Amino acid sequence: MSHSVLVCDDAIFMRTMISDILAQAGFEIVGEAETGSQAVQKYRELKPDLVTMDIVMPDMGGIDAVREIVKQDPDAKILMCSAMGQQALVVEAIQAGAKDFVVKPFQPSRVLEAVQRVLG
Amino acid sequence: MDLSQYAELFLAESREHLSACNQLLLDWERAPANAAPVGGLFRAVHTVKGMAATMGYARVTDLAHRTENLLDLLRRGSRPATDELLQLLFRARDALETAVELSVVGREDELDIAEVVADLEGAAALLAGPARPTGARAPATAPAAGPGRLVQVTLRAEAPLKGGRALLALKRAQGLGAVQGVTPPQAAFESDDFDGRFSFRIDSPAAAAEIERVVRGAGDVEHVSVAGEERRAAAPRATAAGGAAPEATPEKSRHIRVDLRRLDELMDLIGELVTARGRLNELAAARRDPAVDDVAIQISRLSADLQAGIIQARMTPVWQVFDRFPRLVRDLARELDKQVAFRVEGKEIELDRAILDELGDPLLHLLRNAVDHGIETPAERRRRGKQPEGEIVLAAVRERASVAISVSDDGRGIDRAAILARAQREGLVDPHAEALSDDQLLRVLARPGFSTADAVTSVSGRGVGIDVAVTRIRALGGSIDIRTEAGKGTSFVLRLPVTLAIVRALIAGVGRERYALPLTYVAETVEFGVQPTTIVEGREAIVLRDRVIPLVHLRRMLGVSGEAPARCPIIVLEMGERRSGIVVDGMLGQQEIVVKGFDPPRGTLPVFSGATIMGDGIPALILDAGGLV
Repeated sequence: MSHSVLVCDDAIFMRTMISDILAQAGFEIVGEAETGSQAVQKYRELKPDLVTMDIVMPDMGGIDAVREIVKQDPDAKILMCSAMGQQALVVEAIQAGAKDFVVKPFQPSRVLEAVQRVLG
Repeated sequence: MDLSQYAELFLAESREHLSACNQLLLDWERAPANAAPVGGLFRAVHTVKGMAATMGYARVTDLAHRTENLLDLLRRGSRPATDELLQLLFRARDALETAVELSVVGREDELDIAEVVADLEGAAALLAGPARPTGARAPATAPAAGPGRLVQVTLRAEAPLKGGRALLALKRAQGLGAVQGVTPPQAAFESDDFDGRFSFRIDSPAAAAEIERVVRGAGDVEHVSVAGEERRAAAPRATAAGGAAPEATPEKSRHIRVDLRRLDELMDLIGELVTARGRLNELAAARRDPAVDDVAIQISRLSADLQAGIIQARMTPVWQVFDRFPRLVRDLARELDKQVAFRVEGKEIELDRAILDELGDPLLHLLRNAVDHGIETPAERRRRGKQPEGEIVLAAVRERASVAISVSDDGRGIDRAAILARAQREGLVDPHAEALSDDQLLRVLARPGFSTADAVTSVSGRGVGIDVAVTRIRALGGSIDIRTEAGKGTSFVLRLPVTLAIVRALIAGVGRERYALPLTYVAETVEFGVQPTTIVEGREAIVLRDRVIPLVHLRRMLGVSGEAPARCPIIVLEMGERRSGIVVDGMLGQQEIVVKGFDPPRGTLPVFSGATIMGDGIPALILDAGGLV
């Protein structure tokens, strides 16, 4: 059975690209979110196996969304999508409960490696 | 992976974000003490950076990165924006826009961003204050003594964000036992200077090999040694895709972007279909066969739905063109030392993409005129007892079958006396005329090259823009009206059909020919010969509900020989405030017509806007309401 994924990013461009990478590797994209609060709500509805989470989003940022999701489900598997230069934010996200991170620009192989580590 | 498929998405989304940046910067400039826009700016630039990095556009990424740095400092400091900073951010935004556009067409090399980058760096350095001490570079070679086995880890040199990776390794190790004595201290992981070497003590019964496996599981680990037993990284990197699932499933997408040319082609095909449908209806009517009638009715309904669907797919909200104007008006006002509040209304009103694309230039001309000639300087406004800040409103309103777009200013208004004098000198109006009506004024202003500005500024010469605007709007089957009052302001109203390609039209007969009149501007029809006529200002007219409507006899105008019937219909056209009655021989009904471009031979009367093919395959000319009213 393929794993279900919730893709959270405020840019359609990024969501499309991550969805394409994961869908081509056999994952099922079950939902997308544009803001942190949408991510929290959709996580509750969809209970995905994996969440990819952008850090900078309007409304509620990715790190706060991680905290909220982990509060509901301590086993949530969240992969942060960060940019270069966001060291402190990535550290904060991991402390909040994110399981791994990838750095933009994404290379499909790096993304899939990280996903494998998260799903362990 | 092939990135070219994402280029259009990148471009479209970057444009949206950069357009939003413009708006945010304008907001910030209006209220510099309120730092609220900076968060949105930061996010927008950050998003562009991430997308550009993914596309491999190094210069866009670099520029966005530096802009983001500056915004981040501003955001943290919650500082009010100085004018200098705002101008720099405007420049950076513009440079980003250019960089995005050039990169997408493969001309990134032509970019020169050195100057703006240097200025961004300079500003960031000033805000950041003295350089932070680089104390985080504590080497991992002096691990703390304590209980448990010492674990030393080195991350791959090329690993990004090593601090995050190190923290993941620590968290995994904690799953095996208590972890202490982390060196350097964990806080150093948050610094960009962290070099990827760290150590810790672990109190765990797990075998060294197990500890190493777990730490390596964090990814990007080059080297691990556990309690003296050193293990070199031997294994190559994990196999690429990891074998998540053997078969790739077809990718899903929820929306697609369609090349406008595809929609144009579809529209052409629908046009042909509408023509064929008209022909089918005529044949069915002649056959009087109920089975054929049924099919004809069904085809009519289906093609009407299809047509409505395609037209809907072409509809685009006007903000796609309007959104660049706030910045433009601001820049012009600054250049001319004027204070202008600019308001946009009805952004969500939709128009056919093909019409919208043509509107940018005419509106640009009208807005330039409004800032340059309409709005007075603050000093002059004060003298006239007005607020020093002028107002310009760009508004879109949906009317019956058309959309009205107005550009209004509360400036000085157009000097009718000066225009009249000039027009009389040039022999454009009756030398004895005492005043110009709004219509006459527009006609004079719209003459190519007519300008009253004594000194034509670099921004606009009154008149030059108006003839461009009038010509363009007329070509789209629309009209322009002007209203102006000395000291109070000027307002231009453009009226445009909602779509171009297929319109409902009245089919009128004159002599042996048929003519189509788009219903967009048809107000009503009355009967000539029943309605009494009168003469107003030397023109034959009828009076309808207290309004004088001048008549145009199409038969006479087109030079058709023979006599008109004694009683014939008058089609009353209405364009804004203007009306006229078109006298034709007979009315042949209403139908959808497909508008075909039309290149009139020299000497053709300027009253046709296009041609169409009727149901029987014979062409008919389309009358241009703008030319008749």
